[in-house]
Amino acid sequence: MVAPPDNDVLWARGLHYSYSGSPALTGVSIGVREGEILAVTGPRGSGKTTLLKCLSGQILADPGEVWFNSAPVHTLSRSARERLRRERFGWIDCRPHLVPELTGWENAALPLLVRGTTHRAAKQTATEWLERLDVGDCARKRPGALTQAQRQRIAIARALAADPTVVFADEPTAPLHHTDRAQVLRTLTTAARSHQITVVLATLDEESAALADRTVTLVDGRRGGAIPAPDASEGEGRAACSVSA
Amino acid sequence: MLSLRLARGAHPLVLLRRLLVALAAAGVGFLLLCSLGYAVAHPKATHESLVRLLWCAAPLAAVVQFALAVARNDPATRPRDGLDAIGLGPVRLSVLAATSTAISCSLGSAAALLVYLELRGDLGATPLSGAASGLLDGRAALPWGAALTLLGLLPALSAGACAIALRPRKERAGRAPGASEATAGEEAAPAAARAPRPSYAGLPWGVSIIACGLALEAYVGHGPAPAPNSLLALPGQNSGASPGLLGGWLLASLGLVLAGPGLTHWCGVLLSAGRPGAMRLLAGRMLQDTATRIGRPLGVLCAVASGALAAVELYGAAWERSGPRPFGPLTGLGAAVVMACVTATAITAALDARQLRSDTTAALDRLGVPASLLRGAAAVRSLVLLAVLAPLTWVIAELTALPLSR
Repeated sequence: MVAPPDNDVLWARGLHYSYSGSPALTGVSIGVREGEILAVTGPRGSGKTTLLKCLSGQILADPGEVWFNSAPVHTLSRSARERLRRERFGWIDCRPHLVPELTGWENAALPLLVRGTTHRAAKQTATEWLERLDVGDCARKRPGALTQAQRQRIAIARALAADPTVVFADEPTAPLHHTDRAQVLRTLTTAARSHQITVVLATLDEESAALADRTVTLVDGRRGGAIPAPDASEGEGRAACSVSA
Repeated sequence: MLSLRLARGAHPLVLLRRLLVALAAAGVGFLLLCSLGYAVAHPKATHESLVRLLWCAAPLAAVVQFALAVARNDPATRPRDGLDAIGLGPVRLSVLAATSTAISCSLGSAAALLVYLELRGDLGATPLSGAASGLLDGRAALPWGAALTLLGLLPALSAGACAIALRPRKERAGRAPGASEATAGEEAAPAAARAPRPSYAGLPWGVSIIACGLALEAYVGHGPAPAPNSLLALPGQNSGASPGLLGGWLLASLGLVLAGPGLTHWCGVLLSAGRPGAMRLLAGRMLQDTATRIGRPLGVLCAVASGALAAVELYGAAWERSGPRPFGPLTGLGAAVVMACVTATAITAALDARQLRSDTTAALDRLGVPASLLRGAAAVRSLVLLAVLAPLTWVIAELTALPLSR
C-alpha cells in the first residue's frame, strides 16, 4: 500500500465497480487536492455518479482503494463510513431530495441536528446559509410550496451548512433552467472557495466545467484521454450495426 | 390475465396479503351463508334472520376496508413509468387493481361455500362431512340463487371500492401524476392552488360526534325500557337494548374514526414542539405528514378496540364456564374477522407509508443519517401514538359500556 501524496485530501486508486454484472467503473484512479474544485465530466452512463458514490463511501469499490486525509475509507465499516459522510462530507444530488415534511431551514439544518448541534445554533447556521444562497424567504416553507430552483438551493445550503471538508455535487444543476443554472453554480463555487471547501463536481456541460480548477473526463468507466479502451474499438460497433441492419 | 401474470412474479409478502384478503372474504362469506341457512330453516322468524344478516355488515365493511388497503399498497398496481408509456396508465391500473381484488375475494367466497357445504354435510362421504349440521341448520335445502347473490356481494363491493378509491385524480397543470419532484425544469408549485384539506379538519367533528353518541346513550339509558322485540337486540340480553343505545355506541365509534387523523396530527405537533433534536423533529413531522394515511385506519382500529373492550365489560362475567353463553361460535368468528381485518389494515397502512417514504430515506442515507436514528424516530412515533390512543380508547369504551350495563 502506497501512502497518498500529502496535498491530496481525497485519493483513489484502481476503482472498479459493477452494478450486478454491468460494469460502471473499470480502473479509475483520481486525486483531489485540498480546497480545489474538480470537475468530473463525461457523457451519461460514463460512471460519474458511481465514482462520486465510491469516493464518498456510499458504495465500496471492488477492487479499489479510497483514502481520505491519509486514512483508508475502503476498509471502514458501514457505520464508520456513515459517520464520515455525516461529519466530513456533503452531498448534493441532481434532484433536491429534501425531506418533504420539514420546512426549508429544518431541511438545511438537518445534518447539524443529526450531529447533535443545539437547536438554536443549527437554526442560526442554516438560516445564514439560506440567506447567502438567496433563499432566505423560503426558510419557513415546505418543499412542496417551492420551485425546483429554490429546492435545489436549499439542498446546496444543506450540504454547505454542515461545514464539510469535501462536497460531492452530482450534476447539481441538472433540473434547472439556464439562468438558474449559472447562478446556482456560481454561488456553490464562490461559497466553496471562500470557505476552503473541496468540491468534486460531476457535470455534463462544458460551461460548468469551466468554473472548476481542474477537469477529469470519464469515458465508459475509464479516465478519458489516458489509455484508449481496447475492447470497444470502432470496428466492432460497425460490424454489429451492419448485422442488425 | 395480466393481474395473474403480475401476481406470479410478486413478492411473497404481497401474495401473503392477498391470501389474507381471501381468508377474510371466506370468513365473511361463511357468516353470510350461515345467516341465509338460518333464514331458510326458520321461515317464521324473519326478525331474527334480519338481525343476523345486519350483524354481518360489520365484518363485511372491515373486509372491504382491508381489501382496499391491500390493493392500494400492491406494487403491481402502482403507476409505473414504463407501463404508462405503453398505454397501461393509471386508469388501466386501477381497473387491474379492482380485478385482482375481485379475484381474491371470489376465491375466498368459493372456499367459504365449499367449507359451508362440507360442514353441513351436503358434499357427503368426506371426513368432516356434517360435523356442524345442527348449528348450520343442515336439514333445509340451500337456495342457490340467494347463496350466489350473497357470495357475490363482497367481491362486487370491494372491487367497486377499489375502482372508485384508486381512480386517477383530476390532472392538474404543472404536476405530472405519480411524480412529485421528478418533473424537470421550473416547476412552479402554487401552494395556494392545491392546498389540500388539512388532516386535522375532522377532529372537531369527531369529538362532537363522540359526545353526541355518549349523550344519546346516557339519555336513552335513563328512559323507559324499550319494547322487548325492538330491532337490533344485543346478543345475550333478553330485555334487548334499545336502538338508541346501539345508535349511541355506533356514533361514538364513528366519532373515533373521524378523529383518528386529527389525533395523529396533533400527536406529531406535540412531538416536535419546543426545540426538538433531529429524532424528535423527524418523528413529529413524519407523523403530521402521514396523519391522513395512518390516522384513518388507526381511528378504525381504536373504534373496534373500544367496542371490544366495551363488550368485555358487558359480557365479562358471562365468559365464565357456568351460566348461559351469550356468544355462539359464529359471533366469535365475526368478531375475529373484524379485529383481524382492522389490525391488518393498520399494519398495511403503516407499511404503505414507509414505502412512500423510501425516496426520502434513501436521500437521508446519502447524507449519512444513521439508520438507528430513523429507527428511533419510528419507535418514538409508535410510542407516542400508543400513549395517546390507548387511554382514549379505554375511556371511550368505559363510557359506552356504562349505560349498557345498567
